[in-house]
Amino acid sequence: MSSVELIELSVRAGAKVLVSNVSLAIEPGTWCTIIGPNGAGKTTLVETIAGLRRPSHGSVSILGQPVAAMNERERAHRVALVPQHPVVPAGMSVYDYVALGRVAHHGLFHPPSAGDRRVVESVLERLSLVDFRQRDVATLSGGERQRMVLARALTQSTMVVVLDEPITGLDLRHQMDLLELLKSEVHECGLTIVATLHDLTLAGQFADRLVLLDGGEMVLDGAAATVIRSDELAQHYGMALRVVDVDGADVVVPVRHTPHVNGA
Amino acid sequence: MALVAAGTVVALFVAIVCGLVIGPTSVPTWRVVGDIFAHVGIGHNTLTPLQSTVVWTLRAPRMVIGLLAGSMLAVAGGTYQGVFRNPLADPYLLGVASGAGLGATFAIIDISHGNGTPTWTPLLAFVGAMGAVIVTWLIGGRSMRSNTSTLILAGVAVASLLTSAQTFLQQQSSAGSITRVYIWLLGSLASAGWGTVWLVLPYVVVCIIICVGAGRALDVMSVGEDESRSLGVPVRRVRFIVIAASSLGTAAIVSAVGLIGFVGIIVPHIVRLLVGTSYRRILPISVIFGAAFLVFADTIARTVIAPSELPLGVVTALIGAPVFVIILSLRRPVAV
Repeated sequence: MSSVELIELSVRAGAKVLVSNVSLAIEPGTWCTIIGPNGAGKTTLVETIAGLRRPSHGSVSILGQPVAAMNERERAHRVALVPQHPVVPAGMSVYDYVALGRVAHHGLFHPPSAGDRRVVESVLERLSLVDFRQRDVATLSGGERQRMVLARALTQSTMVVVLDEPITGLDLRHQMDLLELLKSEVHECGLTIVATLHDLTLAGQFADRLVLLDGGEMVLDGAAATVIRSDELAQHYGMALRVVDVDGADVVVPVRHTPHVNGA
Repeated sequence: MALVAAGTVVALFVAIVCGLVIGPTSVPTWRVVGDIFAHVGIGHNTLTPLQSTVVWTLRAPRMVIGLLAGSMLAVAGGTYQGVFRNPLADPYLLGVASGAGLGATFAIIDISHGNGTPTWTPLLAFVGAMGAVIVTWLIGGRSMRSNTSTLILAGVAVASLLTSAQTFLQQQSSAGSITRVYIWLLGSLASAGWGTVWLVLPYVVVCIIICVGAGRALDVMSVGEDESRSLGVPVRRVRFIVIAASSLGTAAIVSAVGLIGFVGIIVPHIVRLLVGTSYRRILPISVIFGAAFLVFADTIARTVIAPSELPLGVVTALIGAPVFVIILSLRRPVAV
C-alpha cells in the first residue's frame, strides 16, 4: 500500500486550474520532493495532500484512506504539515507550541496524557530543543523556529509529513541541518516525506524521487539523479542549467544567458 | 497563575461585599457578612428588616446582574479576541450592540409612542442583537471559503446599516424619547431585579461554560486556520459554536442592562498581561475578574454623585483605562 496516492488529481481556484490531472503513488519510507518554477502548483499540491484544499477532480489517499472521507482529527493522525510560513504566536513557550501536535491524540477537552508528554519530550530531545522548552517562540532564530515547527509536526506521530519549502529563509548550514534531520527521520522511523523545494541541488541530494510540476501538470517523475540530469529540467525552468559532479554529489548550477564578463 | 487566581477571587469577594454594603442607607459590613453566612446556614440573621430589604431586594439583584454582566462580557471579549486573532475584537464586533440598540430604540420610540421605556424593551433588544449576529453570519461566515476577516467586515457592514436605521428612528421621535434611548444605550444596572437575574442566568451560565471550555481549541487556533486544521481542530465548527455562545450570552446581557462598553475588550487584555497568552488561563480568570470589575464599577457609578448615578460605561472606562495603562507599562506587550 502506498503512503500517499494521488489519482488524476486536479485543483481549481475559480476558473483557474492550479493542478491538473496528477497521478502519483509514493511508497512508505521514501522522500519525494516536488520541484518546479514559481506558480507551478507545488504549494497547492502539498496543501491538497494535507487536506487543506479540496480537489476539483480525482482523489488523494493517505495510507489507503481517502483524505476527503476523513475529518480533521483523523487526518491529523495520518499526515502532518510544515507550512511555508508558519504562524508563530508570540507569548507561547516552545514546549506548548510543540505539544500542539498532540491535540489530535488527546482531544480538545482533555489535557495531554503522560504518554503525550513523553512523545513531546522525546521529540524535543531528538531535535535538540530541550534547552529552548521554556523560551517564548517569538524569540527564536529562523533555524531554531523551523526546527520547532518540524518538532510540532513530528509530535503528531504520523507516518506522512508534508513540508512546503521548509528551508526558506535559512542559511546554508541550517538548511543542511534541517534536511539531514528529516533524512534521519526517514531512515530511523520509516517516515514518508513529501516536500517542495526550490533548491534543485538540495532536492537532488536528499530526495529519493523528484516530481517536476510546470503549469500545474506533472511533467517529470523519477529517481532524483535521473530528473536532475534530465534536459527537460532546464527547459521547464526556462533557463540554462548545468549539473556538476562534486565528490559524487550532483550540484545544479544556473548559467547566465548573456556573455560572462567579470563583475558584470 | 495561582497567585493571580487567588487575588482575583479575593477581589471578587471584596466587590460582592462592597456591592451589598455601600449605598445611601448605611449598613455595617460585619452585619452584611454575617447575613451572607446566615443565608448559607451558618449563624443567624444580623440585619434589621429595613437593612435586609435594602440589601437583599435592592442591592443584591443589582450586584448579581453586575457579576453576570461583567463575567459574560469579559469572557465573550476574550473568546472573540481568540477566535478572530484580533486584539481589538470585543463582544459587539458582529453587530450585537447595533442590533440591540435598534431593537430597544424601536421599542422605546415606536411602540411606546414616547411614553416611557416599555417592559418589552429587553425582548426587542435581544431579538435585534441576535438578528444582527445571524445576518452577519449568513453574509460572512457560512461559506466554506470565508475567513474571520470576511466575518468582521460583514459585522461592520451590518452594524453600520442598523446604526443608521436607529439614527433615523431617533430623528423621527421626540426629544424625551431620544433621552430615554440614550440612557438605555449607556447601560445601567439600576433597573435590575431578581426577575432579570433569573431571566439572564441560564443563558449566561451555559454560554460561559461553552466559552471557557473552548480555551484549548482557541490556543491551537492561535497558529491560524490552516495550521489548526492540520493539527486536527474542526476550525469552522469551533468558530461557529464559540461565536454563537459569546453572542447569545452578550445579547442576553445587553438586552437586560443596555450597552456596557470597555469590559469586553479591556478585561481579557489585563488578564492576558497577568497570566500569559493561553486561553485556558485567560478565559476562566476573565470570568472572575470581569465580574469583580463590573461590580466595583457599578458601586462607584451609583455612589460617587449620589443620589444621581454616573453612566456605568463611563466608570468602566475611567477605571479600566488607567489600570490597563499601568499594567501595560509594567509588562512587555504580548500578542493575542
